[in-house]
Amino acid sequence: MSPDDAAGPAIEIRSLSKRFRRLVAVDNLSLEVARGEIFGFLGLNGAGKTTTIRLLLDLLRPDGGEASIMGWNCRRQGLEARSRIGYLPGELGLYADLTGQQLLDLSAGLSGREVRPDTVADLLQRLEFHKSDLHRRLREYSTGMKRKLGLIQAFQSDPPLLILDEPTEGLDPLMQESFYKLLFDLRDKGRTVFMSSHVLSEVERVCDRIGLIRKGRLVLFSSVDEIRKLAARTVRVIFDSDVLTSPHPLPQGYEVIDFTPRAWTVRASGPMGDLVQRLAGLPVKDLEVSDARLEEILMRYFREDEPR
Amino acid sequence: MNGAALLFHSYRRVRALLLGAGALLAGFQLLLCLAAKAMHELNAFGQLTSLIPDFLRQLMGPSLISLMSFGGIVAVGYFHIAVMGALVALAIALATEVSAEIELRFVDLILSRPLARHWLITRSVVVLICATAWLLLAMSLGTCLGLYLLAPPGSAEPTLRLVRILIFNLGALILCWGGLTLAVAAVSRRRSAAGSAAGFLALATYLFDYIAQVWKPAAKIAWLFPFHYYNALRLLTTSDLPLREIRVLLCFAGAGIAVAYILFSRRDL
Repeated sequence: MSPDDAAGPAIEIRSLSKRFRRLVAVDNLSLEVARGEIFGFLGLNGAGKTTTIRLLLDLLRPDGGEASIMGWNCRRQGLEARSRIGYLPGELGLYADLTGQQLLDLSAGLSGREVRPDTVADLLQRLEFHKSDLHRRLREYSTGMKRKLGLIQAFQSDPPLLILDEPTEGLDPLMQESFYKLLFDLRDKGRTVFMSSHVLSEVERVCDRIGLIRKGRLVLFSSVDEIRKLAARTVRVIFDSDVLTSPHPLPQGYEVIDFTPRAWTVRASGPMGDLVQRLAGLPVKDLEVSDARLEEILMRYFREDEPR
Repeated sequence: MNGAALLFHSYRRVRALLLGAGALLAGFQLLLCLAAKAMHELNAFGQLTSLIPDFLRQLMGPSLISLMSFGGIVAVGYFHIAVMGALVALAIALATEVSAEIELRFVDLILSRPLARHWLITRSVVVLICATAWLLLAMSLGTCLGLYLLAPPGSAEPTLRLVRILIFNLGALILCWGGLTLAVAAVSRRRSAAGSAAGFLALATYLFDYIAQVWKPAAKIAWLFPFHYYNALRLLTTSDLPLREIRVLLCFAGAGIAVAYILFSRRDL
């Protein structure tokens, strides 16, 4: 595969490790992010998300392993790799005496890519950022405005890969909606988004695939749909008349959460056929199936020491 | 293009400071001309010399005669402790920009772009050289203007050559402290830490050099420290270009800059 090969992954991480003295921040991490997808990089605070991102940007030097962006090695070919990135840091370090326009100009000048005025105008409009605000000093900006400005500087050169570290932190719900729509539009245009987050509902809604990192190690790497399929659904069986027999034993893959003569509540992690067979002959009035929420599944991964 | 954008950003940030400092230093040179004119008119140089304690006379030697003249007082603007302190402090402030960028995490924004790391150091070196040149130019303009407007007829004005020599030697001293500070800043996470370390070093070596002039054991190792290579009083009497001193100071600066490049290229940001 040659760099920029359209078939290659947008991000490829191989056995990446980083220690800060005794603390292992990233531990033998390997993952691939395909081109044109929105990838959610999840983890609790201190899990190693930002460290991984900073390793990709060559701000930190790895103790082992390597990473590449669009086929360009992040260390040896860092300039090539970074010329394909738009980056929003989690902690936006800004000089308070700069104006918004000065920051955008600096960012554009450093990006080495053409910044089209219509792209900037579109971003300003979508994020409801008034042009006049660009001439104010950053010390006068609210947290949300700084975040929006951070997004604009990351997106303005229309890079093929966007690395966003907790992008919706500080954005109000309406702005979050606009931001999600922006991400979907970018995906439709073939851009890749790698975003770290700990907002699970956001990840569920926006991302195609996720990687979950805990204590520097990747503990889950899958598409959102696959995780949902793997997850147990809750089935509530409502009867016409009292059923006095116990629901036990249920076929494998089912677990009784609760039962009364008129209703059973069962957790089902697999196809429903066996349950339907088990219910044959019983006065079933209705079946209510609730899809598992990604949030519940991910919470298990966050909590468990070694997920099953 | 990328490096130029960073350079322009830094220039925009420091231009007000440099303009102010340049105006202040030029104004100080003008004031010194005014003070020298007043002394000359009052014929106060002799009285002033008699006020100087013996030990100081011995310390200053023949340069005292050069100093206690219209030209000498005007030249004080190039080695007055306040001027030297301000210039070294400015050099330290400019050279610690890189650690300020790390502290603020502004470096994440800059270096997430296709910009080689060395540009942060190169930028600081360019800013340092330009700032030094500007400040010394402002000072010399202040001196020239002061001499043009205020020099009394028949007074012993400092020659252009002397002003030039003082400027070159002082410029090398400023660059030396800038280079040394860059080396400290390249490994620091906080501007205050880098600045105070460099400032403390400058103050300690200045005091040491001062002591070395009166205490022989200290004089034996005074050659190790930068202030040893800016002896303005001697320049007043000889008016020779101190090439050796300038070379040594520039070597200090070069070494500091080289160390900064190496350390900064290897560190985690």
